[in-house]
Amino acid sequence: MYIYLPIAEISMHIAVVIGLGGGVGFLSGMFGVGGGFLMTPLLIFLGVPSTVAVSTEANQIVASSVSGVLAHWRRGNVDFKMGGILVAGGLVGSSIGVLLFSILRDIGQIDLVIRLSYVVFLGIIGVLMLMEAARAILRTRQPGAKRGKLHQHNWLHGLPLKVRFRKSKLYISALLPFFLAAFVGVLSAIMGVGGGFILVPAMIYLLGMPTYTVIGTSLFQIIFVTANITILQSVQTQTVDFVLAGLLLVGAVIGAQFGARVGALLRGEQLRGLLALIVLAVCLKLVFDLVITPEDVFSVEFLR
Amino acid sequence: MTSRLCNYLVAILLLVTGWTCPVHSSTLVADLDLDQVSITIDFNGESLLLFGAVSGGTESDIIVIFKGPDAPIALRKKERASGIWMNRQTIIWQNAPSFYHIFSNRTLDEVLSEEQQARLRIGAEHIGLRTSEVMLDKEKAKAWRSALTRNMTERGLWKLNERNVSIIRGALFRAPVYLPANIVPGEYEVRVLHLQNNQLVAEDTTYISVAKTGIGAMIYAFAHDYSIFYGIFAVCFAVFAGWLAAAAFRKQ
Repeated sequence: MYIYLPIAEISMHIAVVIGLGGGVGFLSGMFGVGGGFLMTPLLIFLGVPSTVAVSTEANQIVASSVSGVLAHWRRGNVDFKMGGILVAGGLVGSSIGVLLFSILRDIGQIDLVIRLSYVVFLGIIGVLMLMEAARAILRTRQPGAKRGKLHQHNWLHGLPLKVRFRKSKLYISALLPFFLAAFVGVLSAIMGVGGGFILVPAMIYLLGMPTYTVIGTSLFQIIFVTANITILQSVQTQTVDFVLAGLLLVGAVIGAQFGARVGALLRGEQLRGLLALIVLAVCLKLVFDLVITPEDVFSVEFLR
Repeated sequence: MTSRLCNYLVAILLLVTGWTCPVHSSTLVADLDLDQVSITIDFNGESLLLFGAVSGGTESDIIVIFKGPDAPIALRKKERASGIWMNRQTIIWQNAPSFYHIFSNRTLDEVLSEEQQARLRIGAEHIGLRTSEVMLDKEKAKAWRSALTRNMTERGLWKLNERNVSIIRGALFRAPVYLPANIVPGEYEVRVLHLQNNQLVAEDTTYISVAKTGIGAMIYAFAHDYSIFYGIFAVCFAVFAGWLAAAAFRKQ
């Protein structure tokens, strides 16, 4: 059965849409990641216009983050004070991102910028994760090896406007999380991701937050950032397809349950190594598409 | 489907009976088996049947030009810059038809000379396509025009369907028309030309509208007319769906 997506204005087989949601949901349940960084490029590969893919994925991430944050909230693992500052930064960043997005779309460079952003960030994150996982796997084989320091103090900790975050046991400048969230917010709006794959490592290594508050707090922040993107894109470009988002979500919710069970059978460093390989595979596919000579150097786009 | 077939048969009967007592030296009647194409939520393209009848001799040729509403189209050209391929040039086609299929019973060039095609405005080269910038270089203009044709053809939107009109006993004709799922809604113009000995003897034009209907049309209108409320609704829907998903799987 085919479904004509009312905003994307393309016809897709319903099994393909739910299957895509299920596949990405499985991986996100298995690795404990949002999955936007896989879903958005896959939607574009399947022929969904890039603008619709990015806006719709923001809408879907609202749902998956709400569903994820509830468990962390119950366990008291959300640092609302830190979350509030991250939300403020994220709202500013994502609003700038949506503006940049529509400018880039008008000059015909949005696809290139989306792809380049993916290549750069997936490349960096993939390589770092792979190295970290490789070190962790080697360490377990040499029980005598020492662990490195968790985080070091540097000039970032000397910034003004210091605030105490009790839940996260931190005393740092509020500017640091604000600008971090603003930066990730811009990327969120342009890449159609929650940004957890940058935010989480940055919160651990840059802000020095304890791991148990990081996931819940980042999910809390991502809800507001992606909700902001959903509303702004709805107003500015009318590219949010909630029918597509809803179908992807049905698949993702079910897929994530199976993924979480499979993930529980694997060791943490093995999981991270595997995830790193998937991230790098997506990155390489994008690099490949950018550098090989296209079949046709011309392309058409209907303007509204 | 049965009712569509019935319509078709009744129409043919009428046409055939009309044809036996011709009023003019040449008559041409054409119609489609549907009055309207509805883009519903399960739309995945639509097959139409164009049919009709002609009178006035045996050596008849039929050409059909099925044309969708004009749409501004951006044609972009990629060039290699520091190793990567990026869009470097853009030309906007201001009045290109969003759908342009030509059907004929023989090849177009067998039926009409290049000058006749130009005079009758048949083919993308002859319909006065305007671009955002004037292209003085003939070679360049030709390359961009053929790139537009190539890309639109690849999307199934422009096509020359030669030898696709069947003429039955020199009087009845029919042509299968396929509207793909990516068509633009609007008024579609169907021009039917009847030719004898390479000369135009009759012409008939009919229209068919392609419109979004049902729930999909409502969602589209909601998103465009009340975009801020649509955005807020989309967020509320996502929050509710996320909560529902968490509640459903909480016990496990």
